[in-house]
Amino acid sequence: MKIERKIIDTDILIIGGGTSGCMAAVEAKEKFPNLKVTILEKAHIDRSGCLAGGMNAINAYINKGETADSFTEYVKWDSCGLIREDLVKSMAELFEYSVKKVEKWGLPILSDDKGNYQARGRWNIKINGESLKPILAKAARSAGAQVYNWIVTTNLLTEGDRVVGAVGFSLRSNAFYVVRAKATIMATGGASRIYRPNNPGDAAYKTWYCPYNTGAGYAMGIRAGAEMTSFEMRYVALRTKDAIAPTGTIALGANAPQINSKGENFMATRYAHLGGDHAPTPFRTYGPLQEIKEGRGPVYLDTRGLTPEKVSNLKSAFLDMYPSQVLYWAANNIDISRTPVEVQATEPYIVGGHCQAGYWVDANRKTTLDGLYAAGDVSGGAPFKFVSGCWAEGVIAARAAGEYIVGAGSKPAHLVSEETILQEEERTYKFLRHEKIQYPISPVELEALMQKIMDQYAGGASTGFEMNEEMLLQARERISRLPEISQTLIASDTHQLMKAHEVVDRIDVAAVLVEHLLYRKETRWPSYQTRVDYPNKDDANFLLFVNSRRDRGSDKIEMFTRSK
Amino acid sequence: MPVWIDPEKCNGCYGAAQPPCLRMCPGDLIVKDAAENKAYLKYVNDCWDCLPCVKVCPEEAIEFHLSTQFGPKGARLIPHVEKANDKIVWELIDRAGVSETFTMKTKMIAVALDEKLEGESQPVDFSI
Repeated sequence: MKIERKIIDTDILIIGGGTSGCMAAVEAKEKFPNLKVTILEKAHIDRSGCLAGGMNAINAYINKGETADSFTEYVKWDSCGLIREDLVKSMAELFEYSVKKVEKWGLPILSDDKGNYQARGRWNIKINGESLKPILAKAARSAGAQVYNWIVTTNLLTEGDRVVGAVGFSLRSNAFYVVRAKATIMATGGASRIYRPNNPGDAAYKTWYCPYNTGAGYAMGIRAGAEMTSFEMRYVALRTKDAIAPTGTIALGANAPQINSKGENFMATRYAHLGGDHAPTPFRTYGPLQEIKEGRGPVYLDTRGLTPEKVSNLKSAFLDMYPSQVLYWAANNIDISRTPVEVQATEPYIVGGHCQAGYWVDANRKTTLDGLYAAGDVSGGAPFKFVSGCWAEGVIAARAAGEYIVGAGSKPAHLVSEETILQEEERTYKFLRHEKIQYPISPVELEALMQKIMDQYAGGASTGFEMNEEMLLQARERISRLPEISQTLIASDTHQLMKAHEVVDRIDVAAVLVEHLLYRKETRWPSYQTRVDYPNKDDANFLLFVNSRRDRGSDKIEMFTRSK
Repeated sequence: MPVWIDPEKCNGCYGAAQPPCLRMCPGDLIVKDAAENKAYLKYVNDCWDCLPCVKVCPEEAIEFHLSTQFGPKGARLIPHVEKANDKIVWELIDRAGVSETFTMKTKMIAVALDEKLEGESQPVDFSI
């Protein structure tokens, strides 16, 4: 196969045209109309990433009577005392700005008869967001961003500690892309499928978090030597059984408490001191897991007695975001006004939008690498972003990237050496092999191996999400063998080549994740990070961020803490 | 199989190289058989059940089914997109054949039947 090289020079490169990336593109073109903005998107920007199916609420919004400060205080409490308050507050200050913009682009937001947004819980407003992603994509294109669809970005281009662009390959042609950029915004999203998923076979991709968010953004940063934070705060989501649809729609939309098989509202009885059904989010997963462990499962959201109108409203809300939930109830003859809705915990996800795994950034969302910014799920230290926080971070990163370029004057894009380009081209395409490999492995096989290790030794569903030092040391040892095995990956076409890179990226993320889990010798977020050998919270030693940096020469992962 | 494209109904979007269902799949799972002029879900195990392909099909040729791990076949969920009205009318039919509809407001963004790649040459054969 002959590779055709495409060189693109741009001012701002945005990797990932999702929630953050689209908003960053619009903000960059509005504030700096003379700068060239380029988006590399792995799928098609109209329906890529987390928002493909839609959304039925904006879950981070400053409703009447609240402020950015009260939001920050709440998020700190919900995250068991540890957040970057500067980051959370700065995004909260831009919720209104971002939401109003998207409303102007056409997003239907539900209002009451006085024209006020309809609240759903303390920080949420209701939307008809089935088309949220196409709305954002159109805004990004209309603003003048150049969008390249079906480009799988494989690595950052660096010069020392400075990021000067990225490389990737086309899923649709033989083109290898070399993008030289004055500033780069990483906006790929977080990582799913690091752990063995809840279901096998034709339901293996029926995950809650987007299964096509592969941790590529983390992995590229890890390989480039960027500092990462808080990977150990995994997100183990409480979701409806099987359909794995968000429970907030039911819990907040219909005030449905959790009950166990004995009918007991166990959050109210056992976790009253933490707020009962309104306890910090990790405890709302930990509570039901304990019920099941101690023999009082299954666990449900009690929807019994809901009026027909409320049931219809709930189904409508799911159609805007998770249509399969509605079909699930119909297929199984479930009337939720008579039968409570069973819930379960998902496999752990690594995500900076619900939890805080991601790049260590400053207030401008600049990473520890010069010229590289991070926004959305890939950016760390600021949980509770959801959709609007990702928009806010896109805005902040775009403004900072623009200022950085303008401040540097009219320097041309950095020239990348031919040697580097050839190395990256070889690295990108090497799995499309022509030479014979004695014992080749497919992306699916290697992914299954990684998921099995993470599931059984690093706190997956099979151990109730619990872990100890010895298990994690096993995980470290076994994951450490995978990079070598990945050298024997083979791919037969560009789709399989993408799958090969996805598993390579996930392995890099998994290795860093295990180090983070080993380092935090306490249990700060039960269920997200349950260390059975250190079962208590230890503020004296661990009210700190656990950070990591992989050395570019030795690939050794260095661990350390930061207070802020 | 979570998503099934009915070959009787699929018209290949009149010879489009990149028909809407193929473009809107976030997992790059749908391909088109050029000889037959039909789209199909190539990677059935990798489907997220997110439904953009179902909603975007101008022929309503794409059926959504649950994995049998989640329940028996027979119930149906069909989105009827009313482009001019910015609405989707969802038709839910349970296994006894009883139907219910839900009319949801949306913002329709036009989707072309085909789209050229940005500055790309023709696709090539990567097979070994």
